[in-house]
Amino acid sequence: MAEEQKKGEIKKRRHATEAAGKIGPMVKESIGGTVKAREEGKSIAYAFIVCSYDEIIRAMDIVPVWTENYAGICGAKRDAERFLEKAESLNFSRSLCTYALCGLGFDQWREELGKMPPDSPWGGQAKPDFMLSSGQILCDPRNKWYQAVQQYMPDVPIYNVGLPWPLYEDDIEVAEVEGYYIKYIVEELRGLVKFLEKHTGRKMDWDRLSELVDLGERTWNLIWETYELRRAVPTPMGTGDAMNTMVPMVFMLGTQEGYDFFLDLNKELKEKIARKEGVVKDEKYRLLWGGGLPSWFALTDFNYFNSKGAVFPAETTYRMIEPIYRLNIPDTNDPLERLAYRWVRYWTYWYDKAKKRPGSEPDVERLIQYIEDYKIDGIVMHEAFSCRTFHLGLIWQLNQLRKIYKPIPVLVLGKDGGKTKGKRELPSLILESDIIDMSSYSEVDTRNRIDAFIETLEQSKKNKA
Amino acid sequence: MNNQNSNILSRIEDHYQNYGARARELKNEGNKIIAYLCSLVPVEIISAAGFVPFRIRGDVNEPITKGDTQLETIACPFMRSCYDVSLKGRYDFLDGLVLPHACDSIARTYSVWKYTLGLDYSHFVNLPHTSRGPSMDFFRAELDTFKKSIEKFAKRKILDDDLVKTIHLYNENRAKAKALYEFRKSDPPLVSGTEILKILTAGMSLPIAESNDFFNDVLEEFEKIKEGPQKKAPRLMVVGATVDNMDFIKLIEDSGANVVVDSLCIGTRDYWPITETGIDPMDALARRYLDKINCPRTYREKVGEEYEEDLKARFGDIGALSKDFGVDGVILYIYKYCDPFGFEVPARKAYLNSLNLPVLYLEDEYSASSIGRLRTRIQAFLEMIEE
Repeated sequence: MAEEQKKGEIKKRRHATEAAGKIGPMVKESIGGTVKAREEGKSIAYAFIVCSYDEIIRAMDIVPVWTENYAGICGAKRDAERFLEKAESLNFSRSLCTYALCGLGFDQWREELGKMPPDSPWGGQAKPDFMLSSGQILCDPRNKWYQAVQQYMPDVPIYNVGLPWPLYEDDIEVAEVEGYYIKYIVEELRGLVKFLEKHTGRKMDWDRLSELVDLGERTWNLIWETYELRRAVPTPMGTGDAMNTMVPMVFMLGTQEGYDFFLDLNKELKEKIARKEGVVKDEKYRLLWGGGLPSWFALTDFNYFNSKGAVFPAETTYRMIEPIYRLNIPDTNDPLERLAYRWVRYWTYWYDKAKKRPGSEPDVERLIQYIEDYKIDGIVMHEAFSCRTFHLGLIWQLNQLRKIYKPIPVLVLGKDGGKTKGKRELPSLILESDIIDMSSYSEVDTRNRIDAFIETLEQSKKNKA
Repeated sequence: MNNQNSNILSRIEDHYQNYGARARELKNEGNKIIAYLCSLVPVEIISAAGFVPFRIRGDVNEPITKGDTQLETIACPFMRSCYDVSLKGRYDFLDGLVLPHACDSIARTYSVWKYTLGLDYSHFVNLPHTSRGPSMDFFRAELDTFKKSIEKFAKRKILDDDLVKTIHLYNENRAKAKALYEFRKSDPPLVSGTEILKILTAGMSLPIAESNDFFNDVLEEFEKIKEGPQKKAPRLMVVGATVDNMDFIKLIEDSGANVVVDSLCIGTRDYWPITETGIDPMDALARRYLDKINCPRTYREKVGEEYEEDLKARFGDIGALSKDFGVDGVILYIYKYCDPFGFEVPARKAYLNSLNLPVLYLEDEYSASSIGRLRTRIQAFLEMIEE
C-alpha cells in the first residue's frame, strides 16, 4: 500500500488562502532558526505545543524546538520512515506514537553521528539544552518521550510540567474542584520558571511575561474571530488550510509575528467573503473535520474532497482556542495564574452546555455547536493508529451524536404506509491511517471511501424533506 | 494429595475460573459492587464507603467483538478486552465504576465506559504525572474529591476510623500476598508461577476480608508443602503491565522454565507496597498510589549525574527482586499500543543487561492465539539461558 507513494513523490497541496501558503517558508525558517540559535549559543528547549508555557519560554528568550512539529515535517516530506526504522531498531515498538518514534530515531542518530543525520529534512533539529515534558491528561508520549531520549543524551535535563484539568463528571461541578487545579498548575509553572532560570542563568522578567500573556490572549480572540469568518457560505477557508494556520496558533503563541499573521488572515478572509470567493467554485457539501490529526503526508486528500465540491469550514483539531471573554478569567496580576485559568477553562468550556442535554458530553456538544454554527452536512474524522491521545473515543462520539442529535428533516414510511416527518443523523466517515507512518495509508482506498461518502451525502441531500 | 489440599486447590480454581461469582452473590444479597481497572484506584476508599470493590478482568480467550463497535482498535488490547467482556454483560452485577488516570487508553475512554455501561455511579481519579510536593498535594485534594463523591453515592460519611481499619485490612492482604512469593524462592520452587497468578487474580475479585481468609487458607496449605511439582529449570521473572490470565505464564512454564517472580500489576507492583500507618490515612493513601506503586505512567525525576544512577533509581526494585529470587533471565512482556511501558523498553533492557541478566522482549496483543505464537521465541530464549 505504501508502495503507492514514496519519498520524493510529494504532491503539493493547493491552498485556498495566501496566508496558508506562507506557512511552509515560516516553518522552514523556524526549524533552520533553531540550528542557527544553537550555533549562536542561545538556550534551546525541546517543547510540546499546547502546554501553556509558550509565553514563559518566549519571555525568557528561549528558542523552542517543537519536536512534534519536526516529526510532522519529516512526515509531510515523506521522509519519516528511516527515523521510524531507527527507533524500531532500538526496540521501540512501531505501535507507539510515531511523532515520538521519529524524534527518538532522529535524536539517537544525531547523537551517534555527532552531527545531523544525512540529508535531514530542512537541516535537522538542533540538540536542546533542556526538555519540557508535559503529560497533562491526554498524552502518555509527552510524559515519556523526553525521558526515553535521555538515554541518548543523558546530559540534557527535563522539567515535566503538571497540567491537569478535571474530567467531565455528572456529579461534580468544575467550580468545586477548580481551586486546587489552579493552585497546582500555578505551582508547576512557577517550578518551570525556576528550572529555566537555573539552566539559562537568566531571571524572569515578570512584566514582560505579563505583556506576552496579554498578547497571547489577544491572539486567541483574534484567531476565534478569524475562524468564525469561515461560517460564510461559500466558506473562504477550509481545514486543509487550517492545518497550516495552526502553526502560528500553537507554535508562535506569545509572539507578535503570530498575532500579525492572523491580522493578515482576517483581512484576507473578509476580502474573500466580500467577493463571495470560496474554497471551491460550487460549494455542495459543508463538512466538519470532527476529530483526529491529519495524515501529514496526504494533505492533498483535502483537495480531493474539494474536487467533489466538499469543503471543511470548521474542525475541532487544532482549534485550541476560545475567546478569552467566554472563559471569565478572574482579575489577577499574576501572569501564571492567568495562564492556569486559561488552561483549565479552555478544557472545561463545554461542560456546562453538555450538562443541559441528556446523554451529551463535552466533545459531542462541541460537534453539535459547530454543526449548527457552520451549517454542516456531514462529519469526517481520522483515526491515526499510533496516537491514542486524539483518536480514542471518536467512534463513541459519533455513536452518541447519532443518538441525541438528528438534524436532517426527512419523510419516513409510517406503520400505516403513509409518510410522516422524521429526523435523521448526519452522515459521517472515519478515515484510518496515521500521522506520519505511510505504511498504514493507501491513497486508492482512502479516495474510494471518500467517493462513497460523497455519494451518501448526495443521497442525504436528496432525501431531505 | 490430601483432602484439604485438594479443597484449597479447587477453591483457587473456582475463584479463578468463575471470576466474579462471589461478587454476584454479594450483589444478590443486597451489596453494591464498584468496579475498577488498574492498580491505581484507591480501593480502600471504596471499601470504607461500604461497597465491594471488584477489579475488572479481561479474557484472552474471548475475541473482542462488541467492544469494537464503540472503541477504536488502537487502544491497549487489555483494556479493550476488559471493556468488551463488560459490555457483553459478564459483570452485569456492577453498580459503579472508578477509573484512574493511568494511561491514555483508560483516561480517553472514561466517557465510553461511563455511558455505555450505564451504571449508577462513576468517578475518574486524576493522578498527576509526577510525585513531587505540589503533585502530592494536588493528588491528596483529588482523593478528597473522590471520597466526597463516593460518600454521596453511599449516602454516608467515611470516617477516618473506617479508613484506618480498611487500610489495615488491605495491608494485611498485601503482606499475605507477599508471603506467597516465599514459596518460590527455593530451587525448584514449591509453587508454580501459574498457581500464584491464579491466586493473586482470584484475590482481587473478593471483598477484602474474604480475600484475607482465602490467602490465609492458601498459606496454611502451602506451609505443608515439602516438595513442589516444579522441577529445576531456568528461573525467570516476568516484567510488564497487567497479566490476569494464566495462559502466558503457563506457556513459559510449559516451555521448561519456572516463573519465580514478577514485576506485574497483579503481582509485586500492586501487592507489595503497603500503606503507611500512624499518619493521616488520606495522606498515606496519596503516597501509596502516587509514589510507592512503581508504574511507568508516573514520571520519576532523573536521579544522579550518570544515566546508570537514574536507571537504578527507576528500576532498582526489579533488580532487587531478581537478586532475591535468584533470577536467570527476564521476559519483558509488553502489550501493543502501551505507550507508558513501550517507551521504557530500551531503558529497562539496558538496566537488566547491566545486571548481566538476559532479556527477552515480547510485544503481545492480549489474546490466547497471539500468546501461543510466542512459544518458539520463549523456547529459544530458554535454550540460550541454558547454554
